[in-house]
Amino acid sequence: MKEALTLLHRLNGHPDSRCWFVSWSPTGTLLASCGGDKAVRIWGQEGDSWVCKSVLEDGHQRTVRKVAWSPCGNYLASASFDATTCIWKKKNDGFESLTVLEGHENEVKCVAWAPSGNLLATCSRDKSVWVWEVDEEDDYECVTVVNSHTQDVKHVVWHPTQELLASASYDNNICIYKEDDDDWECRATLQGHTSTVWSLAFDATGQRLASCSDDRTVKIWKEYPSESGNDLSWKCVCTLSGYHGRTVYDIVWCRLTGALATACGDDAVRVFKEDETADPDQPVFSLAAQATKAHNQDVNCVAWNPKEAGLLASCSDDGDIAIWRFEEED
Amino acid sequence: MASQFSGVLQLTDLDDFITPSQECIKPVKVEKKRGASVAKIQIEDDGSYFQVNQDGGKQKLEKAKITLNDCLACSGCITSAESVLITQQSHEELFKVLRENKAKETEQMLVVVSLSPQSRASIAARYGLSSSEAGRRLTSFFKGLGVHHVFDTSYSRTFSLLESQREFVERFQRKEQDKKSLPMLTSACPGWICYAEKTHGEFILPYISTTRSPQQMMGSLVKGYFAEQQGLTPQQIYHVAVMPCPDKKLEASRPDFYLNKPETREVDCVLTSGEVLKMLEEEKVSLSDVQPAPLDTMFSNVNGDEFLSHAGSASGGYLHHVFTNAAKQLLGEEVKELTYKTLRNKDFQEVTLEKDGVVVLCFASTYGFRNIQNLVQKLKRGKSPYHFVEVMACPSGCLNGGGQIKALPGENQKELLQKVEELYKADLPQAPEDDTRVAELYQSWLHSVGEERARELLHTQYHAVEKMTNGLGMKW
Repeated sequence: MKEALTLLHRLNGHPDSRCWFVSWSPTGTLLASCGGDKAVRIWGQEGDSWVCKSVLEDGHQRTVRKVAWSPCGNYLASASFDATTCIWKKKNDGFESLTVLEGHENEVKCVAWAPSGNLLATCSRDKSVWVWEVDEEDDYECVTVVNSHTQDVKHVVWHPTQELLASASYDNNICIYKEDDDDWECRATLQGHTSTVWSLAFDATGQRLASCSDDRTVKIWKEYPSESGNDLSWKCVCTLSGYHGRTVYDIVWCRLTGALATACGDDAVRVFKEDETADPDQPVFSLAAQATKAHNQDVNCVAWNPKEAGLLASCSDDGDIAIWRFEEED
Repeated sequence: MASQFSGVLQLTDLDDFITPSQECIKPVKVEKKRGASVAKIQIEDDGSYFQVNQDGGKQKLEKAKITLNDCLACSGCITSAESVLITQQSHEELFKVLRENKAKETEQMLVVVSLSPQSRASIAARYGLSSSEAGRRLTSFFKGLGVHHVFDTSYSRTFSLLESQREFVERFQRKEQDKKSLPMLTSACPGWICYAEKTHGEFILPYISTTRSPQQMMGSLVKGYFAEQQGLTPQQIYHVAVMPCPDKKLEASRPDFYLNKPETREVDCVLTSGEVLKMLEEEKVSLSDVQPAPLDTMFSNVNGDEFLSHAGSASGGYLHHVFTNAAKQLLGEEVKELTYKTLRNKDFQEVTLEKDGVVVLCFASTYGFRNIQNLVQKLKRGKSPYHFVEVMACPSGCLNGGGQIKALPGENQKELLQKVEELYKADLPQAPEDDTRVAELYQSWLHSVGEERARELLHTQYHAVEKMTNGLGMKW
């Protein structure tokens, strides 16, 4: 039995620019991408090919670094280097700009919607992580500003079921936040990477967190009941090293199959599978498949389709988006 | 170096903890000398720089120095100025002045310490004393070191409250003509002012009350009225303020509070509550063992040996005073008790006055950066229902200031804050308008209420800081 990554489509997503991030809609039918051209594009399948359904322009003055779908699929949030986060609302066939969240001092690096859809997290080069609350009238209010990192915050991600937030930073650390007595607090700092942590992904249950770093490793962290009772306790249970030639920019955990995919500065996309017979406290992951020349330049992002197992999207500094199928071969 | 500035100030920075010499974007003026145009710069082992001329001659190069004023004028960073600040305003500086005084027979400086009630409560909590008792013992401690007068900024706060009240009524009356007259935002918090000037400039500044903070009211009193009374020039007085907040150091350094003619600051040095604790420790003095001294009643809000306070929040009680006064003066309503409605969180509260089912006064207090954000965004979207907002940068307000004494190991920070609040609130409140001595000063010193002289001495100005962008700082 052997696994492979097969290229299904390659789209010139953001011509003459970088494509920074791709995100699948909750139903898995649409793919949103964003890039250095300050635009967000929405892609959908028509017959056998993928076409650009709409372009969200004029929302940002500078690079759009990340884009995120709300859990209901009716909203998109885009984070930009222009220090703002734009909220877009689905209208007829397209999207219209609903509101602009201001407040970060400079480049917003990431935006993520909580599973409830009521909370939104953003992070920035200003070292802060913000949580915003959305009310019924589509008004956004800042619930907290947390300064737990000492450097640029690269990524924020929500736990799949709880109101628990994780962030990754240029300070090599990962912070985990929870609300406590009407404000949010950093409840755990995960130290172990020796350089910038670029991205994070929870597994389907939220008991484990995968992180990827400029130190060319991937780490798996697991939550344990803590001795003190109050603070959260996360331990690194596995480190994947020797696979990535350069910075690992993104990591994503498939909620359907448990496969881990990474995006790397060595132009490759890799998929790791877990040995299900291993001790859960010492998990073992092995490289199942890789596309060494997945893109012509750095791969910035990988995203598993939430509904179709094995369907993977990636994007790169070369401006392209690629759609892959990961499957077992006979 | 961990910063002790308020969260707001930390956020306005691009790269907080980098010292100015490394990444400061403030251009340094270089005196150009004519002549040798080609030279090499050599770095010695000890890190000093030498210019090597073509003839082989060497010349040591001076280091560029950045003053606090440079930092205040620059949008690049703010807390990186901390190292600059600490050298200019520290308890070492006070000790130096006191030492020099002792060494001199003549030309001694008159040293005045103005203690804030929030600092008094913080220190009282550490030593298990009442706030008034801490005040009496601190007076004794400072005088033992050679300080001549110990005043209380609750006294100068009476001026701040009275001026805020007048300013509010005046703004309220012109609210139809001037869209930016309301809401009036309080100005006593220097972290908030700094943030407003650096990030929201022209948009937000017109809303901010021009009334001086208690610290700078005291500055005006001490270097103006008091100096005159003592027959001294303002430079002959060294004025120290003890505050719950290190951002107050920045406030004291503002050019607006620098007297040009006599060339002196109205407040020469600001120490935090924590720094006073450090002084006590360095002098190996426990406040528990200090004999209390009688209070300096001249500029203190006292009744006999007990300190008096103001009603309302422990961050100055601005909302309380302005609200009750506006209700009476503008609407003829006597408000005895204010009902604070907690909104999004405990640091965002609202107080309203209804008349015939219509809200006629809508006031709020917003503490902490997250609530300041929401306030600013509400204003920007034209969705603010407020007439007045008490704005403080620190969550829980001034008692929780960055300069307050931290909990001891094993002590709970939240419980400590509660204790400090209880001590603070134990001082009996006095209505600002009932202070007859302040009323007299309005006549004798300021000639009359609301006159030009009062405007000049009791108010200040704000200045938008232009944003400079530094392309070199780009990080993906």
